[in-house]
Amino acid sequence: MGRVKTKIAAAKERTANKKQKPADKNTVSQNRLELLVTIVNRNKTEYYTDLIQSFDVNMQTVMLGHGTADAKMLALFGLNDSEKSVIFGVIQEDKIPEAVATLEEKFKTIKNGKGIAYTLPLTGVIGTLIFGFLSNNRMVKGEQAK
Amino acid sequence: MSKSGYELVLCIVNTGFSETVMNAAKEVGARGGTVIHARGTANKEAEEFFHITIQPDKEIVMILVPEQIRDDVLHALYREAGLKSEGQGIAFSMPVTNVVGLSH
Repeated sequence: MGRVKTKIAAAKERTANKKQKPADKNTVSQNRLELLVTIVNRNKTEYYTDLIQSFDVNMQTVMLGHGTADAKMLALFGLNDSEKSVIFGVIQEDKIPEAVATLEEKFKTIKNGKGIAYTLPLTGVIGTLIFGFLSNNRMVKGEQAK
Repeated sequence: MSKSGYELVLCIVNTGFSETVMNAAKEVGARGGTVIHARGTANKEAEEFFHITIQPDKEIVMILVPEQIRDDVLHALYREAGLKSEGQGIAFSMPVTNVVGLSH
């Protein structure tokens, strides 16, 4: 019994030693990127792109879309316009809570500004410059020459 | 499995079939979606070889659904607007980490 206990203690010590120091903010694993998709009325596109840009989102793409909810549903949600803008932007994970909370508040308070927003995790990005650009990491200025 | 409890279902169909897609999705509990226009690309050489033409005009239907009904929605889309139907649809789902703006 005693031998088992000492073995467990030794194993615990080993795993504790293996634990790495917490990575700093600029390390990839600590600064994941997600795709922020925001769907709003078309006439509010510019307002929302400006708002999203304030959360260090350096690149956004707007696509024109149409809502498909039927008239009864639209009335229920307080919407009356089916012409939508779909805004795609790449956002850093640590900015999401703030961005999402602000968007939610704006969706509720702005007249005709109702919309939905969601984020999708990105699994990969190629290129250090692009990664720096998307994560607004000003330390990355260019790709290193071969 | 996503931590928000929602999944995004994307369905790419030939132009004009977004209504078919939405009807199928609503049948199993989806509430609304957004349609964007897109252009598909196909292998030109393969198209000539098989003597078929792929209609390049597409519509992408984006539907946010609770993850419990995600499988039902995908099945419904496969049945009603799948590759073998006229809509020639492809549907897939993606995990969603945060959602705001949906009325509960």
